[in-house]
Amino acid sequence: MMWKEKYKIGVDLIDEQHEELFRRVSDFTRIIRSEEDWNARIDKVKETMAFMKDYVIVHFKEEEDYQAKINYPELEAHKKAHATFKEGIDNYVKIFEEEGFNENRIQEFGGKLMTWLIMHVGNMDQKIGEYVKSKGGQI
Amino acid sequence: MKAEYVNSFYKAAKEVLQLMVDIEPQRGDLKLIEDLSNDKDANVELGVIGDLKGKILFSFPKNMTLEMVKILSGMEMDKIDNFASSALGEMANIIGGNALTLLAQHNYTCDIVPPQIYVGEYKPYSIDNDKALLLPLSTPIGEFDIVIFLKENK
Repeated sequence: MMWKEKYKIGVDLIDEQHEELFRRVSDFTRIIRSEEDWNARIDKVKETMAFMKDYVIVHFKEEEDYQAKINYPELEAHKKAHATFKEGIDNYVKIFEEEGFNENRIQEFGGKLMTWLIMHVGNMDQKIGEYVKSKGGQI
Repeated sequence: MKAEYVNSFYKAAKEVLQLMVDIEPQRGDLKLIEDLSNDKDANVELGVIGDLKGKILFSFPKNMTLEMVKILSGMEMDKIDNFASSALGEMANIIGGNALTLLAQHNYTCDIVPPQIYVGEYKPYSIDNDKALLLPLSTPIGEFDIVIFLKENK
């Protein structure tokens, strides 16, 4: 399992979306690392890429709205980190549009995506939870 | 080279590894080396530009690399393929980025050049008559090195 309980921040809406993101990235990783013929997997890869691209936007927007609602002091820095994360995904989407869905490139993207997600949720997002706790619990 | 450089990289490596793979690296004795080189299996080279200029080399043995990627992904890994090397490169990139944030507190403003990943032999990078610092770090899943070669550029 890629998801770990320690990644929970204690805000239900965000935790549920994070778990969904981890589930999708886990599925994506399993597909790209499977031994099956690449051509048999490529549709699933494309489908997951399309989902990820959209879901990341939805999740980041909702997370930012929540931060604004609770007057989270790090909102601007967090928005910047989201923009960088999204830019990383968009760069690969562009590469895949230009070069096609090359297996080695997809593997490279998968390794980065997993690391970005764990680092972002495991570090930066935890600070939202700490802030909420410092204000006395769920806001 | 100053202590801040080494401490920043050690602190960043410790925080990132604790957070991402639940391991705590312990510092070994620093060594002075004559070129940027390492004989471990997976090497990530980061360029540094700005107030400090130079290169950082992260060197990991194969088994440790595979174990780290296994902890991250929850999946068995048996070779350092594009997925594993890319994840390793990104981890090193994050450590480097965090180290530079720490160095900024000592008034060094620097940027990182995207990582170059070398699986297998790393061709030594000559630093002429200079010396680089090798910081060995031990963990329960293996020993790895951070080689630091930085010069003031102010």
